[in-house]
Amino acid sequence: MLDLSSMSEHMPAFIDGFIITAEVSIISILGSFLIGLVFALMRVSDNHIFRTISYWYVDLFRNIPFIVLIFFAYYGLPEVGVYIDAFWTGCLTLSVAVGAYAAETIRAGILNVDKGIIEAAKSFGFSKLKIYRKIILPIALTTSVRPLGSVFINLILTTSILSAITLGELTGASKIIASTTFRPFEVYVFLVFFYGILTFALSGVIAIWHRHLNKYNEAN
Amino acid sequence: MYGEQGFTAYDFVLWAEGLGVSVGIFLASSVFGLAIGILIGLTRYYKVPVLGKLLMMISEFLKNSPVLVQLFLVYFGIPALLEIDITPIQAAIITLTGNTAAFGAVIVISSVEAIDTKQLEAARSFAMDEWLILKKIIYPQSVAIAIPLVVGLAINQLQVTSLISVIGVVDLTRVGDIVNQRTFEPFIVWPIIGGTYFILAKLLGLLGARLEKKFSAYRYQAGI
Repeated sequence: MLDLSSMSEHMPAFIDGFIITAEVSIISILGSFLIGLVFALMRVSDNHIFRTISYWYVDLFRNIPFIVLIFFAYYGLPEVGVYIDAFWTGCLTLSVAVGAYAAETIRAGILNVDKGIIEAAKSFGFSKLKIYRKIILPIALTTSVRPLGSVFINLILTTSILSAITLGELTGASKIIASTTFRPFEVYVFLVFFYGILTFALSGVIAIWHRHLNKYNEAN
Repeated sequence: MYGEQGFTAYDFVLWAEGLGVSVGIFLASSVFGLAIGILIGLTRYYKVPVLGKLLMMISEFLKNSPVLVQLFLVYFGIPALLEIDITPIQAAIITLTGNTAAFGAVIVISSVEAIDTKQLEAARSFAMDEWLILKKIIYPQSVAIAIPLVVGLAINQLQVTSLISVIGVVDLTRVGDIVNQRTFEPFIVWPIIGGTYFILAKLLGLLGARLEKKFSAYRYQAGI
């Protein structure tokens, strides 16, 4: 019954979809990391207003479904005169939405940095900027590689929702293949395995990277 | 009705219906999903041959692929393969149950493994049978550990229910889509829909905090 051969002739369309998924993922991972970093720094700053804004940003975007956000952006942005296509709407919304998760993760990493190290840096007369840039952030990011990795793997899985706003990424492309071959079961089973193997491979890479970055910590 | 602008009182009824569908499917899939998750966790814990490994492998794939694709697989794929009819609501409940079970199993396993093994050895040396150990020692402690994790999972799964709108279930998100298409008021419609999910998540969080307090009460009694 299971016949995967019909998939093979549609491989080019599938690969096209994969390229769009990869592009959206890479742009959004960079975007959400930057946004997350900014809001994490705001959350640990001394400024009360910054802290409040960051708190609400994280709370709001972690508790509203992504599909609601993407519909809001897709139908709302043209209303305010922002005309961007589904691809960039997807990148923008993913960056802002996943940024909230990244901010939480980076904040946890910052709070985990040993206070003694910061005290030592202060006593050497380092400026605040230098302490953050040279000491706090490198250490915080070293420990948050793994949780950040799972946030970004989740981001890759979330790109599938962009098919709902007509983007022809992996899931959108597979939908078309499924309806032309009349073999939806094979197509979607293949897709489930494809995403599964992709995320396994990525978490493997993240685990190796984590070990590499933390090799000096093991000695302690 | 098509092309009519502006909101009507009927939109409120639609919102309430969508809310009911979302909450109903959330509750059904959470209850079934957690029950199956506990079973999967126990097959793993008692090292049931073949079944334990197989279920863990399936749940790995459920955790590592988009729920949207799983929905398509169940709603479009399974009827085509088995030549049966599945309604969108059935497909939604089956998929979300499977997904909740996969994540629930992880919680069950980690909360059972968090229990001090010395307690189990002590109980076994008193010749307590496995069922009694499960009921009196493993259950009360692992539930206390699991509650905050289950609440986190529930808040996450509540958001995941919004995906069922894509296969045509008229849930809260689909209602938003329908009203948005008619009124062209995205700045009113989507904040209301998003706000509803936000409030539901906050309510779940409050409920979770109360449950957590209740189930961890034994710790305070024992002075731990």
